[in-house]
Amino acid sequence: MKTARLHAALFATIVTAMPAAADRPILTLTGAVRDAPVTLTRSDLKALPQHELTTSSSVTDGTPVFEGFLMRDLLARHDAEGDSVQALALNDYQIEIPVSDFLDFDVIGALYQDGQPLSPRDKGPVWIVYPRDDHARLQDIRYDTRWVWQLSTLHVE
Amino acid sequence: MSMPGQSEWQKKWASYAPLVPLLLIFVGSLGLALAKSSALERDMRIAATQNMLWVVTQTQMEILMLTLAAGNPSATDDQIAQRFDLVLSRLNLMREGPQARYLAGIGHLDTVQLMSGALLELDPQEHGHSPELHAGLFDLGQRLHPQINRIANDVMTTDWEKTAARLDEYRATQRVIILSVGFALTAALAVSWLLLRNQRRLYLTQLERVRTTSLLEQERDSAAMYRDFAAIVSHQMRTPLSLIDSAMHRLSRKGDQVTARDVLERRAIVSDAIGRLTRLVDTVLLLAKLDNDQLQARFAPLEMCALVTSLVTETQARHPARKLHLTCAEGPLLAQGDPHLVRHIIDNLLSNALKYSPCDTAITLRVFARDQQIACTVTDQGHGITQGDIPHLFDRYYRGQDQQAGHGTGLGLAVAHELAQLQGGRLTVDTWPQKGSVFTLWLPLAKQDRELDR
Repeated sequence: MKTARLHAALFATIVTAMPAAADRPILTLTGAVRDAPVTLTRSDLKALPQHELTTSSSVTDGTPVFEGFLMRDLLARHDAEGDSVQALALNDYQIEIPVSDFLDFDVIGALYQDGQPLSPRDKGPVWIVYPRDDHARLQDIRYDTRWVWQLSTLHVE
Repeated sequence: MSMPGQSEWQKKWASYAPLVPLLLIFVGSLGLALAKSSALERDMRIAATQNMLWVVTQTQMEILMLTLAAGNPSATDDQIAQRFDLVLSRLNLMREGPQARYLAGIGHLDTVQLMSGALLELDPQEHGHSPELHAGLFDLGQRLHPQINRIANDVMTTDWEKTAARLDEYRATQRVIILSVGFALTAALAVSWLLLRNQRRLYLTQLERVRTTSLLEQERDSAAMYRDFAAIVSHQMRTPLSLIDSAMHRLSRKGDQVTARDVLERRAIVSDAIGRLTRLVDTVLLLAKLDNDQLQARFAPLEMCALVTSLVTETQARHPARKLHLTCAEGPLLAQGDPHLVRHIIDNLLSNALKYSPCDTAITLRVFARDQQIACTVTDQGHGITQGDIPHLFDRYYRGQDQQAGHGTGLGLAVAHELAQLQGGRLTVDTWPQKGSVFTLWLPLAKQDRELDR
């Protein structure tokens, strides 16, 4: 446990120590969006209205506080027109998410967990987080699979 | 009064007493089944979220990818860095929350900590990319492989064991549920049976009560009937007796001055009264015989025309003022019957006709054959019979709605009807208000006559 905390502190130092990293593209929007493909940096994503969400997850203990942008805000900002998005992660994990999920629930693209920026060495830089504790319907394996870690591309169709 | 009521209540509740344990079994079993299935449902939900094997195989794959990238001379630094991050993220995931507890359970958490530590020794973010670092990562990847394979292997066996144990538990739970539902079903069936039985008992009790009541009513009715019978018969006897008595009184009062004409007058009265008495006694006697099955009819072919002619002659003699007409059809009119009984029937019809029609009207009798039967009709010009009386006309003691105070025993027509039936015949009636009625006696054709016909 001690080493883990040490490492987390180390990553935080590295990320903050490298301001250039904030300008690297971390998320790409493709498909039915304005001027596709759109590449977005961490600062682009932080420029969206930020929201906090406290919820449990199937892979963590307790109820971490997540912070990030609403998925529907991101899609609206780029005039996305479609019923679903294909979410692709760094490890090639892929899943289709209906856009209605983002309209029915306050699903966020988390950039922070418990105040710490999410890193690609954890589940970052973007982790799709559902308000699992607020809706019984979301406490289901079929929704758990839509919590995409290390989100890299959103293809709107 | 309260005592029988109380015991009835007790009795009623006692019949429902076996229901209580059965209902308890029913509710208890069903409750148990419900609790068990609900626990099962909750457990299945938790079980579905455990996907440790997937986490481990993902890590396994990422280590393989990093090894390949590190060993590939044409791989870029960025590609290797990304692969490094992915391996680290998977190892971090394995060291978190539920995953860490699972690995600790099978004794592999330390292995994962060591793997993570070894990887961070070669962190390109800290040491910068160099062919040596890449070679070191390639070596490390090859060393980590057997370790992660071991973990994947143990996770798989553990998962299967857990799954098998869970399935065993599910099966045991299902057995309990099936058993409970079976118990509940049996209890429900028993309850239904008990309820049905109680209902049937209730129904039988009610039936018994109704039967007793109706028997009691029958008894009461027959008692009333005998009372009525005695009253009517004694009244009907008293009338002719007092007529005879008064006739005798007048004669005796006249003493020596009695003329032959006086005697003749009184004789007619007395003979009429005696006729009535005789008929009454005859009727009552016949009735008694009918009721006791003692009536022995002597059937023989009867010449109906002759029989009716003699009756009309006798009646005309008693009632010289009345007009009686008789017509007989041609040919032999032989009926099968007992001459004594047939006489009684027609005599009854005739005396009724006389009684219930005005003195100045005629009474017509006709004898004829029709449809293998001999008919004898007696037609009067009286007031007719009230519609409501017709269905009861041949009932014993029924005396007609407007005849309540008048004479008549309510026996004559009933006996006549029963006698007609006894001889294989019947009595019918047609009536017209204010015009008169026709009573018809139908008798079977005499046997030899029928044979002649064929």
